[in-house]
Amino acid sequence: MEDRPLVQVVPLGRVDETAVNVTAAHLQAVLDLNTQILSARPVPDYALVPGRHQYNALSIIDALTRDAPPSVLRLGLLRQDLCLPIMSFVYGEAQIEGQGAVVSLYRLGTTEDGRPVSPDQLYDRLAKITLHEMAHVLGLIHCRAPGCLMRFSPNPGHIDRMDMIFCPDCSMELVRRRTRLFRNYLASEP
Amino acid sequence: MNRPFKILIVDDEEAMRESMKAWLLKDGYVVETAASGFEALDVLAARRPDLVLIDIKMPGMNGLELLGRIKENQPEMPAVIITAYGSIKSAVEAMKLGANDYLLKPLDPEHLMLLMGKMVRQSAMIQENEALRARLAEQDGATFGDLIAQSEPMLRVFDLIEEVAVSEASVLITGETGVGKELVARAIHSRSGRALGPFAAINCGAVAPNLLESELFGHERGAFTGAVRSKRGRVDLADAGTLFLDEIGEISPQMQVSLLRVLEEKTFLRVGGTEPVESDFRLICATHRNLPVMVRTGAFRQDFFYRINIISLHVPPLRERRQDIPLLARHFLLRFAREMGKPVEGLNVEALRLLEAYAWPGNVRELRNVMERAVVVGRGRLIGPRELTFIHPESETPPQERSLSQVEAEHIRRTLEYCGWNVSRASQILELDRGTLNRRIKKFDLKRPD
Repeated sequence: MEDRPLVQVVPLGRVDETAVNVTAAHLQAVLDLNTQILSARPVPDYALVPGRHQYNALSIIDALTRDAPPSVLRLGLLRQDLCLPIMSFVYGEAQIEGQGAVVSLYRLGTTEDGRPVSPDQLYDRLAKITLHEMAHVLGLIHCRAPGCLMRFSPNPGHIDRMDMIFCPDCSMELVRRRTRLFRNYLASEP
Repeated sequence: MNRPFKILIVDDEEAMRESMKAWLLKDGYVVETAASGFEALDVLAARRPDLVLIDIKMPGMNGLELLGRIKENQPEMPAVIITAYGSIKSAVEAMKLGANDYLLKPLDPEHLMLLMGKMVRQSAMIQENEALRARLAEQDGATFGDLIAQSEPMLRVFDLIEEVAVSEASVLITGETGVGKELVARAIHSRSGRALGPFAAINCGAVAPNLLESELFGHERGAFTGAVRSKRGRVDLADAGTLFLDEIGEISPQMQVSLLRVLEEKTFLRVGGTEPVESDFRLICATHRNLPVMVRTGAFRQDFFYRINIISLHVPPLRERRQDIPLLARHFLLRFAREMGKPVEGLNVEALRLLEAYAWPGNVRELRNVMERAVVVGRGRLIGPRELTFIHPESETPPQERSLSQVEAEHIRRTLEYCGWNVSRASQILELDRGTLNRRIKKFDLKRPD
């Protein structure tokens, strides 16, 4: 049995393999979570919001977590644009202290004036959004500390200016949350 | 956020309600939801959120109706309306009804984040203001601080204080020494828009005339012998607040001219300074003198008098509002008993009768001092006549209750006591011959104490 809690990365539709690997690597390295990449699932057409050409992030998370084993976290990755019914768009969405999150590459590949960004920059943004959303799953909320990964990012430019680190307070909280998750994970194993 | 910011979301559509809740939870807010206007009113009757987010289009009671109901019962409750594109007219209507802002669906994450930040800051400011006002009220006492009264003349003064507080006009407070003119000035300040600013006070009559200019306007280093460092004056210190000049009738005509210039120009020069300094203050003056008479005799400048006397407020002497005496006496008594840790609980009937009969030439200040001394010397729960020491004991009994022969008898007795019962000396003071004085002593049955 692996000694760390498990997070499963689930590509939804056709997703760049490097993007999936980068995501898994960051979850493992920064959040110290044992990561597993599952085989791709179809694009979640059930979550398509009529008239908006966008996918409801909450419906996707619901579907992803419905069949997840207890104490296993799941992260969905897709190229399509995400939204919430009330919000015009989201880069990603997560269940606070829950089991699932979903992140979209749709708005990460261009600059604010619409020019394409380099693959390195795209993966950097993806990693930051993924870490942010998975920290929500662990129970963290937005943080006001400048540069912290838990600070709300209104645009890709803001994501670029963030460092790949959590502030000391959020780091401490992450350790606490991860320990609790690990305890639950061990208890759930037969 | 120091404490969780609580939000109530009111929307009949579950998807909207829950997605808004999910988003706000990630930002650390405490969120409650209601599926209708009626449900929202039930929630509001039991709990007080910091913000209500209301969808405008709902069956049954729509968002505007709900907003109207909320503002009717809790006008201070912050509310933001959420509306769809094409319903700007309703949003404008909502703003008229008192909504703090409106959001267009679907919401832009950055816009929502900025609006929430604004609402949190506003809420914190409102709470801070409420706390400050409560603290100010606490410092001032339950009503008008030591301006405690139930008499008609003082209740009229209280009304005037409330009226003039909202104005920026200069106020001249008149009244005898000890009636509480500074307390009135402080009450005006604490109820004005400048309450959070400073209250800079100076008694013009208590400062030597040659030092008054420096006290008022400050001085630069080296301006005169002894000015080893620069100092800010009261006019400077009153910036954004209230300047209170007590005993304004005592200042020299030259100083009146200087002050008049400051009032006109709102700038002044420190003593020894060359750069004009700006100060934005509201002026309140007080005097026990009859300034109109002083103006007529030329002792007070007419232009300066008109400038400071835009609103005048007269504080009546204590003898003209005797029903306030028991109230004030008890207030001071309990306050000093608390401060000194004495078990004094009140006054007995005789003591109260004496207080009510006394003329109080020193007004409330004298009453306060008498009560302070009574608590110091008092031994029991109730203060009696023996513990009361009056500064002007001759007025212990009001004139209307004493006949001329009673006054005569009292005066002769006092004179004899003053002279150690030396009848010759007393007859000289009283300008009576010895025989007449002896007859009066016999007539009034005055006896030398053993």
